Amino acid sequence: MLSSLPAAAIVAGGTDLVVRMRNGERHSYLIDVAGLSEIAGITPEEGGRLRIGAAATHGQIAADGTVRKACAGLALACSQVGSPQIRNMGTLGGNLVNASPAADSLAPLLVHNAMLALEATGGARTESLERFITGPYRTTIGKTELLCSVSVDRLEGYEEGYRRVAKRAAWAISRLSCAWALREEGGLIEDVRIAVGSCTPVPFRPSRAEDFLRGRRREGPVIAKAVEMVADEIREKSGLRPSFAYKLPVVRDLLAEELGGRSCS
Amino acid sequence: MFIGEDLDRVDVLEKVLGKARFAHDLKMEGMLFGCVVRSEKPHARIVAIDLSAAMAVPGAARILSHKDIPGQNAYGVIRKDQPLLAADRVRYVGEPVLIVLGEGEEAAREVASRVKIEYEEIAPVLDIEEARRGVRVVHDSGNLFSYKKVRKGDVEKGFAESDVIVSHTFRTAWVDHAFLETEAGIGFMDEGGRIVIKSSTQNIHYKRAEIARLLSIPEEKIRVVQATTGGGFGGKLDVTVEGFLALAVYHARRPVFMRYTREESMLSNTKRHPLHVEYRTGAKKDGALTAVKVSIVGDTGPYASYGDSVCLRAAVHATGPYEVPNVWVDSRLFYTNGPVSGAMRGFGVPQLALAHESQIDEVASLLGMDPMDVRIKNGLKRGSVTATGQHLSASAGFVETLKRIEPYWRERKRSKKASGFGLGSMYYGIGNTGVANPSRALLEVVEEGRIVLHTGACEIGQGSDTVLLQILLETLKMARAEVVLDRGDTDTSKDAGSSSASRQTYISGGAVRDGALKLKEVLEEAGYYRGRSLSDIYRSLAGQGNLFFEGFFDPPAAGLDGETGQGVPYATYAFATHMTEVEIEEPTGTCRVKKVKAAHDVGRGINPRGIKGQIYGGIAMGIGLALMEEFIPGRTTSFDTYYIPTSMDMPEVDVMVVEDEEPTGPFGAKGLGEPALIPQAASIVNAIRDATGLAVYDLPCNMERLKGLLEDKKKR
Amino acid sequence: MKRVEFTLNGKAVACDVEENELFLHTLRERLSITSVKEGCGIGECGTCTILIDNEPRYACLTLAAKVEGRDVKTVEWLGNADTLHPLQRAFISRGAVQCGFCTPAMLLVAYSLLLKNPHPTCEEIKEALSGNLCRCTGYVQIIEAIESASGKGD
Repeated sequence: MLSSLPAAAIVAGGTDLVVRMRNGERHSYLIDVAGLSEIAGITPEEGGRLRIGAAATHGQIAADGTVRKACAGLALACSQVGSPQIRNMGTLGGNLVNASPAADSLAPLLVHNAMLALEATGGARTESLERFITGPYRTTIGKTELLCSVSVDRLEGYEEGYRRVAKRAAWAISRLSCAWALREEGGLIEDVRIAVGSCTPVPFRPSRAEDFLRGRRREGPVIAKAVEMVADEIREKSGLRPSFAYKLPVVRDLLAEELGGRSCS
Repeated sequence: MFIGEDLDRVDVLEKVLGKARFAHDLKMEGMLFGCVVRSEKPHARIVAIDLSAAMAVPGAARILSHKDIPGQNAYGVIRKDQPLLAADRVRYVGEPVLIVLGEGEEAAREVASRVKIEYEEIAPVLDIEEARRGVRVVHDSGNLFSYKKVRKGDVEKGFAESDVIVSHTFRTAWVDHAFLETEAGIGFMDEGGRIVIKSSTQNIHYKRAEIARLLSIPEEKIRVVQATTGGGFGGKLDVTVEGFLALAVYHARRPVFMRYTREESMLSNTKRHPLHVEYRTGAKKDGALTAVKVSIVGDTGPYASYGDSVCLRAAVHATGPYEVPNVWVDSRLFYTNGPVSGAMRGFGVPQLALAHESQIDEVASLLGMDPMDVRIKNGLKRGSVTATGQHLSASAGFVETLKRIEPYWRERKRSKKASGFGLGSMYYGIGNTGVANPSRALLEVVEEGRIVLHTGACEIGQGSDTVLLQILLETLKMARAEVVLDRGDTDTSKDAGSSSASRQTYISGGAVRDGALKLKEVLEEAGYYRGRSLSDIYRSLAGQGNLFFEGFFDPPAAGLDGETGQGVPYATYAFATHMTEVEIEEPTGTCRVKKVKAAHDVGRGINPRGIKGQIYGGIAMGIGLALMEEFIPGRTTSFDTYYIPTSMDMPEVDVMVVEDEEPTGPFGAKGLGEPALIPQAASIVNAIRDATGLAVYDLPCNMERLKGLLEDKKKR
Repeated sequence: MKRVEFTLNGKAVACDVEENELFLHTLRERLSITSVKEGCGIGECGTCTILIDNEPRYACLTLAAKVEGRDVKTVEWLGNADTLHPLQRAFISRGAVQCGFCTPAMLLVAYSLLLKNPHPTCEEIKEALSGNLCRCTGYVQIIEAIESASGKGD
C-alpha cells in the first residue's frame, strides 16, 4: 500500500507523528499499522532469539515475562520510556524508525544484537540495528518499507542492567543511558556487552572495552580501565562536545558502578 | 466549630464530576476566536505591517491594532507603562502587536500566521551587566527601573565587631508559573450593551478598571467574572486575555473567545525575576548575627508589571527571619529586552531565602555551631525588631517552628553515605508591602432564608472560597446549608483585592468577619438566635431596606521611608521552617528529595486539610525551583522543555502546624500560600551541602551543575 | 470526513471526523466533553488523559480515526452527583482537589489502576500517576485519596 500512495506515512501509536503533525508536517494518507497482527506479539525464535513485533508497545514489552527474564535491560528501559500513557501508545517500531538519539530502547537492543526485519512490496530484508540507524533521526528505511519486527538475543544466565539519567524522576528524555549484560564463569568475565545511548550521535557498543574485559577478572582496577576505554571510544566517535563535560564523567562513574556488581535481572 | 474543620471545598463536587466550567471550556453561539500576533524580535521598530495575505484567509474576520484602542494603550498593576498592543516599537520577544479575530480557532491561527511585520531591529539589551552599564537602553529614561533600600544601624561597624564574615553571590533563573490551565476567556456584549468578560484570573476589579481605561468607558459599562481558574501562582494578575477580549468585543460586537496555547503562555507570560544576590553576613563567635549587607540586582524585562513589589519585598525580607542589628540592603531591578518578569509565588523572597539560609548554615559551620542553634539564637520573636525597624508585638511563631522540627533535627541519621539534611527558614509579610490593600465583603439576607456572601476574592485552587465560608459560618454560628457563596463577579461584589501576597485569608477573611459581625448584631436583635427563621427576618429587613451588610479590612501597616526602608511594611508575618533530607546519586549528580518536615506558623488554621494541600504543593514547586526549573528564552517552549516535578519526584512530607494567633487576623489567622514554597529550595541546597560538602550558589542545581561541583571536588 | 463509531461511557456513538483530526478535538468540540482538557497539546502534561479499553492514553496524541470500535471512558463514566464513585468521594474527603484542572485525568488514571491492581502500594500509585502533572497539590493528597479508595488507609 505504501508504494502506491504518495506522501503517505505509517502511524502506530502516533506519539511522535502527531506531535510532528501539530508542528506542520503534512501527509495525504496515514496508514494505521497498530492493529496488524503480523507485526504484533513477542515470540521466541530459534537460535536463542526473541522476536518482538514492531507494533508491540513499550508497556507490553516491559510487562512481558520472557523479556523480563531474558532481556531484563530492555524490559527496564521500556518501562521508563515517557509516561504510563506514552508506554500504552508508543511502539518499539515507532521508536526505532523515529531514531531519536535519546530513545531508551536503543542501548539494550544493541546489547542484545538486535536485527530488524523490514518489508516492502519488492521484498524483505534484515539489518542490524547498528546499520539501520545512521544518525540522529536518520535510518536506512525506504519510503515504501515497513518495519515488521526486531529480533534479539535471549540472554538467560547473564546479569543485566540499564541505567538512564534524566532531569526528573519520571517522564523525561534520557540525557544519557547505558545498558550492559555480563556472564561470569569461574571468577572470569566470560562474555560482556555494553552499549551507551544519548551520548554519541548514534548509540554504540564500545567493542574495545568489551574485548578488554572478556577473560579478565571482574574487579575494581579492571573495570576502571574498561570504563576509561569507553570514554576514549566516545571521544573518538564524536570529538569533544560541550555536553561531554557532564556526560563523560557520568558514563565512567555509572558504568563503573553498574559493571562493579549492580543488576536488574 | 468551623475553625480548624476540614470543610469540603465549595467547588469540589463539580470538579470531581468534570463539570466545572474553566475559562477553557466557555462557549457561546457565534463566537469568534481571537489570537495574538506577537513580536519575534527582542527590540525593534515596527516599520510596516502587511495584512493582505492574512485577510485573504477564509474565515478572517478582523485584525485590531493599537490604533483601535479608544482609551489608554498603557496598563500595569503599579506603573501604567505596558502597551496592550505595541505601537511603533517592540521590546521583548512575544510582545503583543495585533489581535486577529477569525471564525474559529483554525482560521484565526491561520490568519495570524500570514501577518507580515517588517521590523527594523535595535540592538537588544539581553544581559544584566549590559543593562547596568546603560550604554544601550530599553527606554529613554535609562535602564534602572526600581531601586529600594533598607538601612538600619551601621553595617560597617557591625562587620568590624564580628568574629566571622561570610560573603557569597547567589543566582537564580527565570521560572514559569506553569499553571495547568493556560490563559483563556470569553467576552461578549450583554443585552444592556455592557461588555462582559469571563476569564481565568486572580483578580476581577483590577481588570475591570484597566478595561475601562483601555476603552475609555465607565466601569459600570463593564462586568468581569472569574471563571473556574486552573491555577495562578501570580501569573494571572496582570491583564492577559481580558484586555484583548474587551477590545475585540468593543469593535466586533460579537462574542470573542481566546485561549493561549502552552507555547504562547510560556513565551509571553511574566516570569519569576532572576536575581543576582551579593550577600555578606557578620556574626560573633557565640552565633549572634551582627551585620547583613546585601546587594540585589535583577532583570525585570522591559515593562514594570510587579517589579516594584518584587524589588521592595526582596529588600525588606533580605535578612531572613532573624534579628540583625545592622542591615544594609540595596535592591535594584534593571530593564532589559528579556521576558517580562512579574509576580510569582513569593515575589523575590524564595530567591533571597536561598541566600540567607545558605549564609546562616555557613556561619554555623565556621563557628562549629549547629545550624539549628544559630537559627534559634537569632530568630525573630515577640519583642524583636525587624530589618525595617518594626517591633513584632504579636504572632511571631518562628522559634516555635524551629522547636517543632528540633527533635527530628537532633536525631537525624544518614540513611546512606550520600544523604544529607538541611534546614530552611523564612518569614513573609502578609498583604501588599507598605501600602493600603483593603478588602470589602458584602453579605446579603435573601428571601429563601439564607445568607449570601458576595466576594470578589478569586479562588485559584488555594481554597479561599472555603476558608471565607468557614470564617463566615463560625462568626454567624450558622449551618453550612444556610449560607451561599457568590464569588468573582464585579456586578455583585466589592473589590477584595487580588489573590496574591498570601492575603485572602487574612484580609478578605477579615472583611468577611467584619461584615458578619455587623450582620450578627442585626440577627441577634431580630431574634435569629432565639429561633426566629431567616425567611421571617428577611421580610422585616426587606421592609426596612436593610438587607446588605458590608465588611471592610485593611491591614494596619504603614509606609516605608524611601531612603531607609524603615517602617511597618506589613501588619503580620508568616513564619516557617523546613527540614529536608536528600540523597545524592554521585555518579550522575542527581539529587532526590526523600523527606521533608514542614513547620508553619499560620496564626490559626482554618482548614487543616487545605493547609496541608498548600504546603505539599509549595514543596513540589520548591523542588522544581531548586533542582529542575529554568526558563531559557529561545529554548523553552512547552512542558517538553520545561520540567516541573511529577509524582515520582515528591518526598514523604510531614506537616506541623504552629498557631501563634494574630490578633488582627480572623480568628487569629494569617496567610500560607507563598510561605508554603519559600523555605523549600533553601533547605534542599543546605541538605546538598550536608551530603556532599559542596555549596550551591546557583539555581537550579540540576544534574550538570551538581556533577560539575562533585568533579571539581574530586580534583582538589 | 470519516465516520468513526465507538463506545463512549457505555453508549454507542457515531461521529464524523476529519481524517487527521485529534480525538481531543472530537471530544471537546464535537461531543462537548469538556472534562478532557488541553494543557499543552503535545502529550506532556496529562490533562487530556482518557481511557481507551480501560488503558490511559493522551487524547491530544490520539487520532480520532484510531478510536474506531474501541471503548472510551472519560470522567463522566465514574459517577454523577447522585452516585459518586468511591474514588470521587475519596478525592473530596482527602483534599485531592485544588484548582481541579488535572482532576478528571487523575481520576481516570486511578480508576484504571484499581481495575488492574485493586490494592496498589504507594509506589505503584505514584508510578501510575507519573504521566499526569499537577502544579497545585504536590500529589500527596491525590495519592492518599487513591489509597483510601482502594481500601487501604483509614
